[in-house]
Amino acid sequence: MAVQAGGVAESDVLSQHAQEYASAARRHRAFGITKGLAAYATLSIFALIAIVPFLYLLSPSFRKSYELFSYPPKWIPSSLYTGNFGTILHQTSYPRWALNTLIFATSVTVITLIIDTLAGYAFARLRFPGRGVLFGLVLGTLMIPTAVLIAPLYIMISRLPGWTHSGINTYPGMILPMVCSPLGVFMMRQFISTLPEALVEAARLDGGSEWLIFRKIVLPLMKPAIVVLGIFTFMAQWVNFLWPLIITTTNDMKTLTVGVSSLQGQFVTNWGVISAAAVMTMAPVIVIFLMFQRWFVQASMAGALKQ
Amino acid sequence: MMSTVSAEKAWDELTLSEAEYRRAGARYRQRRSLRAYLFLLPYFIPFIAFLLVPALWSIWLSFNRGGILDPAKYVGLENWRSIASDTELTGAIQNTAVYAVEAILLVFTLAIVLALLLNRYRKGSNIFKLALYVPLLAPAVLVGLIWQFLTNFDFGFINLALDAMGFDRLNILGSGRLALLTIVLAEVWRGLGFWTLYFLASLQNVPEELLDAARVDGARGVQRFRRVTIPLLRPMLLFAVVIAIIANFQVFDTVYVLTQGGPYESTSTMVWFIWKRLFQFQETGQGYAAAVVLLAIILALTAISFRVLGARRKRRA
Repeated sequence: MAVQAGGVAESDVLSQHAQEYASAARRHRAFGITKGLAAYATLSIFALIAIVPFLYLLSPSFRKSYELFSYPPKWIPSSLYTGNFGTILHQTSYPRWALNTLIFATSVTVITLIIDTLAGYAFARLRFPGRGVLFGLVLGTLMIPTAVLIAPLYIMISRLPGWTHSGINTYPGMILPMVCSPLGVFMMRQFISTLPEALVEAARLDGGSEWLIFRKIVLPLMKPAIVVLGIFTFMAQWVNFLWPLIITTTNDMKTLTVGVSSLQGQFVTNWGVISAAAVMTMAPVIVIFLMFQRWFVQASMAGALKQ
Repeated sequence: MMSTVSAEKAWDELTLSEAEYRRAGARYRQRRSLRAYLFLLPYFIPFIAFLLVPALWSIWLSFNRGGILDPAKYVGLENWRSIASDTELTGAIQNTAVYAVEAILLVFTLAIVLALLLNRYRKGSNIFKLALYVPLLAPAVLVGLIWQFLTNFDFGFINLALDAMGFDRLNILGSGRLALLTIVLAEVWRGLGFWTLYFLASLQNVPEELLDAARVDGARGVQRFRRVTIPLLRPMLLFAVVIAIIANFQVFDTVYVLTQGGPYESTSTMVWFIWKRLFQFQETGQGYAAAVVLLAIILALTAISFRVLGARRKRRA
């Protein structure tokens, strides 16, 4: 009897413990859920802050400018007015600016990819005197601000002694000074260093020339790095403003960034037209981004991952 | 006996003497280096022409004037004397420093918090990453435009919101402190996605086993972050600080689009000052000297970052 009573008491204590444990777990879970909700709420707020301002441009681009000043504000236009887009296409050089941007950014990207891959391979896999010094030199120039280079570059492109033509307002003048970003070489070297050295050694023993090894063995393995550096370089030139601003003086040679900013002077308070230009500029990029999002995200993470 | 001698002779003929061997080796190494230089040449031609030479040339130019419209002329220390007493340049340096400190602190704090959240709550994190990335696609010109819309006195969202809450509207870009703050916010808005992804990638590089070990040892979340994550992230943080300093001390595009340095030069930054002297005022000498000042500031700040953030790592190693 006593034993049984003891047993009952013991199981009572146990169940009390179990209850306490269960309620602690519930509290803990509830706390966890609250924390999770707070986390997702925070993330959502910042995601909205990132996106909503773009939608904010959409509305005025479909309205006549004076409608913007209506009070109370109307966010959804009562009728879609597309005249702003017509103004951009027919009264400005917008199509030409888009073409210039495409030529400029694509050329810089292609040249950068070729020369950075070659140099990255040499720094990662070939042995030669001065390797450390040269690589240090390339890395050191990362610290040189563009603003320091623009004056000498402008003078060089516009009036190098002995040049019969000025490079101002020409594609080569715009493109060539932008092709030697140190970051690309660094990224390529880091990537090639992660490739198994045995592959290259084996090909070398089989008597392959360095060029053959590079083309047939290293290059095919580098596809992901090339895509990432390509997107990285293209985006950097797509948003480039300072260099196109100073190296182009005629309306027909402007890039989109410079052209669209010049609209602000031309259409002083015609916000409808200006936001139409902005929408036209962003829309294709967002489409491309959504198509290749994985690569874009990798491109911006590359710097961190390759440390 | 005879046969061994002839065999040795044959062997001698087949093998290279030490001198010959050394010469062949040297020839091989020479050809190998030559080939390496050929790989480097396509990069180093533009690198020297468009990066190294202009960088050194910029220092020489700071002792010159002219150059943009007419050939440069040597003027000695005149530029340096004239910018030393230029309150507009000291103002620009101050604005740039205030801007950079605010922008870097704000964007790093937000980005680290968001990266920690994304790292902890992975379900559906992809959609947040994509959303945060979108502002990166916009050139600064469009960012400036968006922020002009947001801050517009008549129809800007911020003023409409102030109005709705019963406050007075603010002439945001017309008042110095608020205009600089708008530039900070615009750049933080644009850069947040990049830094979040950067810190997220860094966090994911922290080995899970180390965190588990710390957890078993009874370290709580904050302690794990401070004692395990941060020390491991030190090199990443160093790289981030250096890159952020270099980028933010060159802020120009948003200034150009949003405020043109105004009102009363209160948002004039260093690159804005340089660009204006070079291409607007034809005061090229001051522009050249200010560019060298900018270079010196960036180099000094980079060196300081390396000392502060790099030191402890070295001691431990």
